[in-house]
Amino acid sequence: MVKTLGWLTALALVVGLLMAFVVAPQVTQGNVQRIMYVHVPLILASYVAFVVLAIASILYLVRRDPAADRLAHASGEVGVVFVGLGIATGSIWGKPTWGTWWTWDARLTSVAILFVMYLGYLLLRGTIDDPERAARYCAVLGIVAALDIPLVHFSVYWWRTLHQPPSLMKPGGFTGSASILWPLLVNLLGFVLLYAYFVARRVRLLRAEAEAVP
Amino acid sequence: MPDNWSFVAAAYALTAAVLFAYWRRLAKKEREVTMRERSNANRSRPTADRSRLTAERSGSTAERSGLSAERSQEPSRTGHPRPDPDSRHSLQ
Repeated sequence: MVKTLGWLTALALVVGLLMAFVVAPQVTQGNVQRIMYVHVPLILASYVAFVVLAIASILYLVRRDPAADRLAHASGEVGVVFVGLGIATGSIWGKPTWGTWWTWDARLTSVAILFVMYLGYLLLRGTIDDPERAARYCAVLGIVAALDIPLVHFSVYWWRTLHQPPSLMKPGGFTGSASILWPLLVNLLGFVLLYAYFVARRVRLLRAEAEAVP
Repeated sequence: MPDNWSFVAAAYALTAAVLFAYWRRLAKKEREVTMRERSNANRSRPTADRSRLTAERSGSTAERSGLSAERSQEPSRTGHPRPDPDSRHSLQ
């Protein structure tokens, strides 16, 4: 099952990569806009990761099921990798487009806070010895941190920002051409599948580690 | 608009490198857990099993010594006769 998911992920990522370089046109920004086909899917997949983490955390607090805690832990770890990469690729795109690697506008600041909060989530897990107490504290932090996701998404509407408004998840839907939309959607599918693949493996590993402890 | 291929290459290379490193880390941890499980399983085998294994081992040692005694009488592979162990002198 996990192996099949891995192969599907690899296929979607290879097709997405080809589409980003062959199908997608270079409209006004030149070739640097090809970074968007990795930056946008990474950020959206990290939203998925943190929403899953929040739902699993609520489930853990209600049922005290260790499986829900393992899912939250795995999702948080993969989410941190994805959002970190999303910030880095966005910064690489920002230098030639905006003329700066980083600026403290509302979108960039709120996503940096999101990254730091989930990094703290992982650190908190590592600092508490009692697994039950670590799971409980992290579940609360995971739910609170998820409140930053709408702030990140709507920050471009609520404040004047250098960052442009969303392209995909906006009222009225996507307004660009199909040659931009399809590479974006295929890459989004690839990164969401990659998230699921990593989480499946991480959950399996966490279960094995828990069983190995006498 | 300049091409900026170096920025595109940097973004894709960084993404590929980090994701590959994470994948390798998961694989390494999985291998470690599997090895730990194996060593735990070996350690926690029942005593009866262990004593049976010991008996088998000592049996096989006795067999081996018998075999070596027989072999010493046989000619060596090169065709030269094996020296009688009793005829050997201890080293000075």
